[in-house]
Amino acid sequence: MSEKIEKMIRSTRDLPSTHLLGTGTPMCAGCGGLEALNGIYDILGEKTVFVNAAGCMTLLSVYPFTPFRGSWLYTAMASAPAGAQGIRDALDILLEQKRITTDDDLEVVVLTGDGAAYGMGLSATSGAMERNLDFIYVCYDNEGYGNTGQQYSGATPHAAKTATSRGFAGFRGYKKDLFSIWAAHNPAYVATVIGAEPLDLAKKIEKLRGMKGPRMIIALSPCPTGWDFDPRETVHIGQLALKSGIWPLKEYIDGKVTHTKVPRKRVPVEDYLSLQGRFRHLFEPTRNEKLLDEIQARVDSYWEKIEQDEAEK
Amino acid sequence: MYRIRFHGRGGQGMKTASRILGTAFFLEGYEVQDAPRYGAERRGAPIFAYVRADSKPINERGIILNPDLVIVADDSLVPVPAAGVMAGITAHTLLLINSNEEESEWRHRLNLECPVLILSLKEEVSERAELPYIGATCTGASARLTGVISNRALEQAIREELSELGTTVIEKNLENALAAYESMADNEGAITEGGLASADSYALPGWIDLPFEDARTSAPAIYAPATSVEVKTGLWRTQRPIIDYDLCKKCWWICGSYCPDGAIEVEESLPIIDYDHCKGCLVCVAQCPSHAIEAIPEAQAQALEAETQEGEQK
Repeated sequence: MSEKIEKMIRSTRDLPSTHLLGTGTPMCAGCGGLEALNGIYDILGEKTVFVNAAGCMTLLSVYPFTPFRGSWLYTAMASAPAGAQGIRDALDILLEQKRITTDDDLEVVVLTGDGAAYGMGLSATSGAMERNLDFIYVCYDNEGYGNTGQQYSGATPHAAKTATSRGFAGFRGYKKDLFSIWAAHNPAYVATVIGAEPLDLAKKIEKLRGMKGPRMIIALSPCPTGWDFDPRETVHIGQLALKSGIWPLKEYIDGKVTHTKVPRKRVPVEDYLSLQGRFRHLFEPTRNEKLLDEIQARVDSYWEKIEQDEAEK
Repeated sequence: MYRIRFHGRGGQGMKTASRILGTAFFLEGYEVQDAPRYGAERRGAPIFAYVRADSKPINERGIILNPDLVIVADDSLVPVPAAGVMAGITAHTLLLINSNEEESEWRHRLNLECPVLILSLKEEVSERAELPYIGATCTGASARLTGVISNRALEQAIREELSELGTTVIEKNLENALAAYESMADNEGAITEGGLASADSYALPGWIDLPFEDARTSAPAIYAPATSVEVKTGLWRTQRPIIDYDLCKKCWWICGSYCPDGAIEVEESLPIIDYDHCKGCLVCVAQCPSHAIEAIPEAQAQALEAETQEGEQK
């Protein structure tokens, strides 16, 4: 497939009609992370080595089954970028010694969940960006430690109920701004994507494919199991994350942040929240106006600032 | 020793059912083991959970091979070999199936000598993976079948095990569990404890001895691409999406791009669903702009398929 996609992806008509990643994976039905990975893999293709930190997606490759057509390696939760460094170095040595040709070279891709990306793997990621490692990092962000029963992570949004945040107000903390943390390292590329917007996703992956250095992707991954919604709503909830402004689609290149899809008329955040069991306590048995207002106000203030910045340009 | 096995799909609450039954046994003074067994599979995938209870310490370990009671929360699992519903069933076992079919029908189909009891589904639910309160119903029924668990112990076990879920959920579960407990009044104590297995009678599994090899040889490495297609995740499906090609606008990309599993391929602008791997999430049904994809219960789809095949043969 990657060989076939030589033309630029400009419209949905250019999206691949068949997928490269094998079917038959043990991801949950309706997995928003797998949906994003399908779109990403279609473009990155089989000349890749996936370095997978412990998480839901480690289960993609359980011997003797794998959906990948290229290489895959498993690492401990915090150390995927270190694993990527080792592979990149090995490939570079092989290239230098002319034991492989540039045609045989592989793209090194780290694949982790938000538990690793926002939390325990952040130090190794920071180090890899500091060393300007030539790699791609894909974080499927389902806002909690999904593989072990959705305990809260550094990516859990304010007020969400998790296995470890069960009170009437849900999770007391706030979702970390990983996009900005990564961008502060000034890597080659940082972007947010979502499977529900496959064209935006494809364009971004295509763009980073032509670059060198650290290229970082966060894919918001609606999770029927961890967020408690009907699997058929995965794409709908993803679309509402965009329309409500909760998940801004943006990219960072050369010190500049650009929003790639600005929701001009935002729908209320409660349209997004009310479909998910993890926020049910905000609506039942009584509406928690204070928390709902707080969540709405945070989203509003984010976009007001973006709109101001745009107006000043 | 009582050996009881619960079969269901991920999401139907079999793990919790076994825990509640285990706790109820414990409250009645029994020594108890209860454990769920599943792999990396998720909602909709076949899982089972089991309970051992005895008045003496239990030395037996591992999955139950010779059950006294097998409870099947979802009858669509019976013909699925991977679910292992029939494993170790003998004339001594009681089989309790949640089904709309008659007991005689199951006995005939499965050529069974053992007693069969039916827990009838009150209504056909649209989402099988979420049969509401089926776990509570199975627990209540099985508690009565043992004949040694009082409704008070059952109630206390439910309150303890579900304490984090809030009053409304607990009350609903209690209501269903106690109704099932009552419905089995005529069969109170219908199951009997199986004897202790002697280590001598234990049949060794068909192990194959592999020589110990150097890590370079023995480390698990996969050399073929996309071997995962050998795993038929279509078994997880309880609802089947069906495309009406008369309504399909051949838009090319929506169902195929949104399918989380990559189970829809588009050939010459026509989407084709790969039913061997479609897990039945129904994202395609929800997203198709021309409503050309409809979901029907998997059991119904299979019955239709069988009819069509028969018709073709004639």
